[in-house]
Amino acid sequence: MKKLPLEGVRVLDLTMMWAGPFATKLLAEMGAEVIKIESPNAWDNIRTLIPQPGIEEPWNASYYFNDYNRDKKSLVLDLAHPRGREVFLQLVPHADVVIENYRADVLDNLNLSYEVLRQVREDIILVSMAGFGKTGSEKDQVGFGPIIEQMGGVASTTGYGDDGEPYKTGVSYGDPVGGIAAAGAVALALIHRKKTGKGTFVDLAQRETMATMIGQAFVASSLRGEEPVHRGNRSDRWAPQGIYPCAGDDQWIAVSVRDDDEWRALASVIGATDLEAFGQDERISRHDEIDERIRAWTRQQDPQAAMETLAAARVPAGRVLDSDAIHRDPHLLARGFWVELPHPRMAPWKQPSSAWRFVEANPQLRRHAPLFGEHTAEILGELLGMGSQDIAALDAEGVTSRAPVNPGVG
Amino acid sequence: MNELPLEGVRVLEVAPGYAAGFAGRLLAGFGADVAVAGDPSAELTPDELVFLTSGKRRVTGASPGDLRRLALAADIVLDDQKPGTLASVGLAPDGLRRENPALIVVSITPFGQRGPYADWGATNITAFSMGGIVSLTGHPSREPLVTGGSQAYALGGLNAFSATVTAYYGRLVHGEGDWIDISLQECSAGMLELYGPGSAATDVGPSPRRGNHVRAVWGIYPCADGWAGVCCLERQVPAFFKLLDDPVLEEERFRDPFQRAEQDDELSAMVYAWFADKTKAEILALGPKTRVPFGAVMTPGDLLANESLAERGFFDAVPTPDGEARIPGRPFPGVLWRAPQLHDSEDAESLLRDWSAERVRA
Repeated sequence: MKKLPLEGVRVLDLTMMWAGPFATKLLAEMGAEVIKIESPNAWDNIRTLIPQPGIEEPWNASYYFNDYNRDKKSLVLDLAHPRGREVFLQLVPHADVVIENYRADVLDNLNLSYEVLRQVREDIILVSMAGFGKTGSEKDQVGFGPIIEQMGGVASTTGYGDDGEPYKTGVSYGDPVGGIAAAGAVALALIHRKKTGKGTFVDLAQRETMATMIGQAFVASSLRGEEPVHRGNRSDRWAPQGIYPCAGDDQWIAVSVRDDDEWRALASVIGATDLEAFGQDERISRHDEIDERIRAWTRQQDPQAAMETLAAARVPAGRVLDSDAIHRDPHLLARGFWVELPHPRMAPWKQPSSAWRFVEANPQLRRHAPLFGEHTAEILGELLGMGSQDIAALDAEGVTSRAPVNPGVG
Repeated sequence: MNELPLEGVRVLEVAPGYAAGFAGRLLAGFGADVAVAGDPSAELTPDELVFLTSGKRRVTGASPGDLRRLALAADIVLDDQKPGTLASVGLAPDGLRRENPALIVVSITPFGQRGPYADWGATNITAFSMGGIVSLTGHPSREPLVTGGSQAYALGGLNAFSATVTAYYGRLVHGEGDWIDISLQECSAGMLELYGPGSAATDVGPSPRRGNHVRAVWGIYPCADGWAGVCCLERQVPAFFKLLDDPVLEEERFRDPFQRAEQDDELSAMVYAWFADKTKAEILALGPKTRVPFGAVMTPGDLLANESLAERGFFDAVPTPDGEARIPGRPFPGVLWRAPQLHDSEDAESLLRDWSAERVRA
């Protein structure tokens, strides 16, 4: 069987919340051994952010935590405790990569900077992914995904246009964007090490990767002083384009017509052949009127049927799939995108598989997210030769544990 | 001596649109020799051309035979045309892979290479709508709203970039390339935060749009000179309440996270009032002191003038016929990056001679 690209790579994963764990999820999908390290006193908050009411050990039964931490191992170690730090530094020589998304000052405060890590493994790769990086006058800002989206320029480009209000994306967009880039940073650093034998410190600022997502807006601003114009769902290049209501509660379809052929096809489907001779300029200037005619048709349509009708007529159209309907989308089902993995504490549910479909190596989800500390004994035993008495001693000192200390909400 | 991590890596982009162009520009910045075959101006606006094609070579007049020779001389082929388009000009990915097992072929399409929608036409907004994020974006009483820019394409391009360098590392270690099938829909569908797994694992149904306010302590508000935001986890709520400085917040109904959800309108009113008379700079200055996650809605112009980004050397200057453009540079510092330059067009023969000579030298 063909090997996955990161088989043989071991990652010590200090990341928490969504951005960092999204990065290490990708690394795990690509075959890396990812060891997720949490402290008894500072565990990944996602474990307890949305606790299921009345469930035992809620930190081990979060579907939210699960979907972004599959295929990882869990080691509990308090890095703020001298003994915990010492054990961590004993693990570093066994690892290729250390990755963290703490606030900019935290790793240094733990006395675990790149220079310290290099003393125990010279070619170690450290990827840090603070919101604003570890240098620069804004490095001490605290950044979560929605903050990153605001501070990286993307929120300024989103809006209906008639109310002057910028909008946040409906997910904490900065997080996965930073995570995808960080996974690329790990691969580039591994390539660099393979070619030169040298390690690397990557100081990723999530805000900078976010700004990269709207690069053309910086061209407009720097060349012509133009700032973003909110166009709602319309295009600055063609018409009509919009998101239109369908039959049913909160059901919508996006329609996007690029040229005269697509327009004639749409006009025919919606019974607006009286407008079919409109060229691009006229469609742009009479967009409101055209929208009314499109809405008059879509309102009578089931969104799936409308999409299929328009696709058959070669008009670009897409249902606005909501977080529920997307799990029943015939195309994603046919592609096997949703996978049900067994979990020891929860009934199976549909989880997304890897968006990086290597056709030949064919990455598959292997295992649910680890229970808290599930692999502590295995990792400390196999990598450091520790026995049950050593681990019991760590437990007694509070360096490791089988459950978070004082878990609350978030 | 330090070298660019992708020095000597040859990348062929075939008639690329935004997504392949985005992946290719990152590969070029990290040192790859990226050649664009075909006319990208058919798909891209002039601003997108500056952002996405700077730093790449342009190949004109390539015949199908030339393209095939170039693809087989390349390490990586990037393509974002409809499934089957490469095959129709003799560049079927599986065939190329058989001839050159080290080759990495990356296909970025709205819905992937197979499945009932694989051949459907799509644009950024239709592909993004089918990925789930659009349903969650916008005001609850209005139509869903697409995020600005071309996020379906940019996300596809970013995923393609990171997947490609991962595959290239795999090739260095294990000796073989692969064919990577990136679907724009799947790139979004796998990042629905808590909302995707929430709807999949429980009977709550679809998550509603929440506009700019997920909760009172998690949203964007008008401030004295624009818009600013706050995003508090539970551990940051006490510090934010201290700033709000209202004795009513001492009451249990506000302190307890479960009861607080019932008081969201009352709390929102306080937060609106607090933001209203402060500037973005005043709000941001409170972040490091209080460790409350504050943000401000910055425009590209704000960011071009931003001191922190200047200190970190984020932007690259690119010469264009209309003057010098400044565009996002390295996505992260630590591995070497080079600022893009404009290249003159060249013919396929010249590029082939170049790539063949490199291979002989190697």
